[in-house]
Amino acid sequence: MNSTVNRQAAEAERLEARFGLRLGALLNEQAARTPHDISERLRVAREQALASARSSRLLTASTDTVVGNGRSAVLGRLPGWLFRFASVMPLVVLVAGMVLIDEWHDRAQIEAAADVDVNLLADDLPPDAYSDAGFVEFLKEDAQ
Amino acid sequence: MATDKELTDFLKSVEKRAFKRTVYAVRDDDAALDIVQDSMIRLAQKYADRPAAELPLVFQRIMSNATMDWFRRQKVRNAVIQNLSDFDTGDDDGDFDLLELLTTVEGSLGSESAADTVGREQILLLIEKEIALLPGRQREAFLLRYWEELDVAETATVMGCSEGSVKTHCSRAVHALAKSLRAKGIAP
Repeated sequence: MNSTVNRQAAEAERLEARFGLRLGALLNEQAARTPHDISERLRVAREQALASARSSRLLTASTDTVVGNGRSAVLGRLPGWLFRFASVMPLVVLVAGMVLIDEWHDRAQIEAAADVDVNLLADDLPPDAYSDAGFVEFLKEDAQ
Repeated sequence: MATDKELTDFLKSVEKRAFKRTVYAVRDDDAALDIVQDSMIRLAQKYADRPAAELPLVFQRIMSNATMDWFRRQKVRNAVIQNLSDFDTGDDDGDFDLLELLTTVEGSLGSESAADTVGREQILLLIEKEIALLPGRQREAFLLRYWEELDVAETATVMGCSEGSVKTHCSRAVHALAKSLRAKGIAP
């Protein structure tokens, strides 16, 4: 009983497939008769799609080249962690340089102040003279 | 990665079927052309790096999604669902002898007698019309299985449903087409 039902189901499925494929073949025949204007528009659409495929391939290829060349020119083929470390290095060097410049500037200011102090103390003129308004006026006139 | 030639050959081989399938669904040549063009460009831009063997399945998926997007935009999805439910109610025909009908209709398609009485071109147009009248999911399953010749698993992937659903849709589509073609006098 079951085998009869199964056989009938299999036969129905086989007939459905044959019927469907036969209709598919007829649809192919009908598709081949697509009007010329539609065929042309499809051709243009296809060409546009191919052009966009080419441009996206070119874009991908040029991006790969830039990245690849960048690595090989500066660092060669480095492992990932080393590449990341090397990428951070310029930032570290920049910060260290700024700290050194600040330190050098402070030292230069201190040394200039020390020079002034030394000159003032070593001079015959007492430092109090510079607080005297008449002496300052004298210096200005002398400079002119 | 598919070469330019492989991509060209593939698109050439599917473009007319894709257009027809979309026309059956949206019933508008211009909209169908737009959908096919968008699908081709999407395939070319995003999936051209895939092996050529994968292109058919990917393209069918893109086409289905693009068509669905079009329906969403047109706000006609409710009408499609209505069509599906309409068909379901008419499926319980107690007098319907599947084996007999399929055998007779299948035997009559393309035969000389049918060609003599109606004309082959008219028969083809009639078949197209009946396919266009199928509910959307049935039509999609039928065309993917028997026109694009995808297997059940591939059709299920494209349609985003189970293999059982594909079989059901296909079977219902075949029955509906067989009945309607016989009613139109194509079957003896």
